[in-house]
Amino acid sequence: MNILTIRNLSKSFGRQKIINDLSMSVPEGSVFGFIGQNGAGKTTTMKMVLGLLKPDYGEIRVCNESVCFGQTKTNQYIGYLPDVPEFYNYMTPMQYLRLCGEVIAIPKSEVDRRGQELLSLVGLSGSAKQIGGFSRGMKQRLGIAQALLTQPKLLICDEPTSALDPVGRKEILDILRKISSTTTVLFSTHILSDVERICDHVAFLNEGKIAACGTLAEIKTLHGHDSLLLEFSEDKDLQLFKKQKSIEPLLLCSEENNRELILHSRNMESVQKFLFGVLAETGICPIKIELMEPSLESLFLEVVK
Amino acid sequence: MNGYIAFVKKEFTENMKNYRFFILFAVFLIFGIMSAFLAKFTPEILSALAADMEMTSEPVALDAWKQFYKNISGVGFSAFIILYGSCLSGEYSKGTLVLMVTKGLSRKAVILAKYTVAAVLMTVCYWVSFTAAYGYTAFLWHDTDLFHVALAAFVLWLIGFLYLSILMLGCVIFKQTFTSILFTGGIVAVISLLGIIEPIAKLNPFILTSKNVDLLSGEVVPSDFIMPALFSIAVSILGLLIAIKLFNKKQL
Repeated sequence: MNILTIRNLSKSFGRQKIINDLSMSVPEGSVFGFIGQNGAGKTTTMKMVLGLLKPDYGEIRVCNESVCFGQTKTNQYIGYLPDVPEFYNYMTPMQYLRLCGEVIAIPKSEVDRRGQELLSLVGLSGSAKQIGGFSRGMKQRLGIAQALLTQPKLLICDEPTSALDPVGRKEILDILRKISSTTTVLFSTHILSDVERICDHVAFLNEGKIAACGTLAEIKTLHGHDSLLLEFSEDKDLQLFKKQKSIEPLLLCSEENNRELILHSRNMESVQKFLFGVLAETGICPIKIELMEPSLESLFLEVVK
Repeated sequence: MNGYIAFVKKEFTENMKNYRFFILFAVFLIFGIMSAFLAKFTPEILSALAADMEMTSEPVALDAWKQFYKNISGVGFSAFIILYGSCLSGEYSKGTLVLMVTKGLSRKAVILAKYTVAAVLMTVCYWVSFTAAYGYTAFLWHDTDLFHVALAAFVLWLIGFLYLSILMLGCVIFKQTFTSILFTGGIVAVISLLGIIEPIAKLNPFILTSKNVDLLSGEVVPSDFIMPALFSIAVSILGLLIAIKLFNKKQL
């Protein structure tokens, strides 16, 4: 079952079309990476899902209920963490969670219990400091706690790690991984290593449309091409290898770096058989032969080009 | 309703924590106390400063009320509008409201809670100021023969609600504090200008802020205030409803 379905969504600001006929679905239980360059429209899409921005066209359904702009009914299923969450600075984390609890009408005792659990999950338990004195990372962690207070079915995180240092980033990713067993996570980012660490599904947003969508494995199969790295002990071996007439077609799709040659192909098996034949014939012995899996970065670059 | 109550509590706390309430309370209280004192002692101060200046008449209690209405309707309400002009813009620019709205807090509750708290604080400040002015005026002038002292204050209090309603509308339409305040000032100026158009002048809420002293001196009668007061209440409610309607459609 899909927890979020977007169909033919479009949104313009003035004459600039930000989202152009976007369709995608987020399966329940997934950690969904929503990837796009800066300004690709990730935040705009998320704000439309939350009913904060009005779509020009299209339909958004959360837990099979239609999202209406300006209304907050479907937000009962959603926890939202903005890219830079801001709180009322004069409150302590627990006071802020109590305010959230009162807004969503959770009994005080229940808010206190959940609040303690969540603050301990995000590493802020016992913090009686006012939020005004919090670092960015601490605010981000409190942002996750407030988003989870409603026990949402879907947690939407808008670039939760972009502004953080490596330690803060790791902490946030660890928390997201921890909660993914109970909550579907939609996670927008342009940091691809974060996606590889925690996401099982991804969608690439390019020019307002979904350029590719699916599980990581599916995307790699559909859009990726494997690479084969050959490292030679001396430059003359590399040059000799390149001079072989029979491998010229392979060099059309290759990269060269020092004494390394990287060959790209969608049919790596036949390339390997062919190469080993050439190496045996010429007697050139590379010091390293490595089959490289497509990286998310190369996939992203291929999809958005 | 839960959201409204929670947000009202939050607004009260915020106004205490950011000293907005204390500043306004102090401003209104000072004006309340000073109006009587200034009326009483200004002639003496002036004569002390300029020995050859002769005062033609003794100050009376009406002079104290003149000071009070001039200060409160001018500086007092202006201070209120300036300090409250950031009540929504601060939340827009920081993004604090987004988290509340995505929690299910209705937008109507946001506007109503902010209006309620502003109106309550304005009421407290205003009547404390009035009580101070009343007490000191009674203390300094024992035999006063003024009419409708409470009613004159009541009608000015009513216009406070109208100003807050216009301010709320400005805060919803514009994202910056400055433009919200400018909008409120502009609308208030338009209302006062409409006061010179004869056929509708008798309905104009501006009477509630300009004829208070005349009511005290008996130059106008209470019935002259009925239509402007009703009109002011109607416009206040209408302004608030429009603010809610527009805020429901605002992209956050």
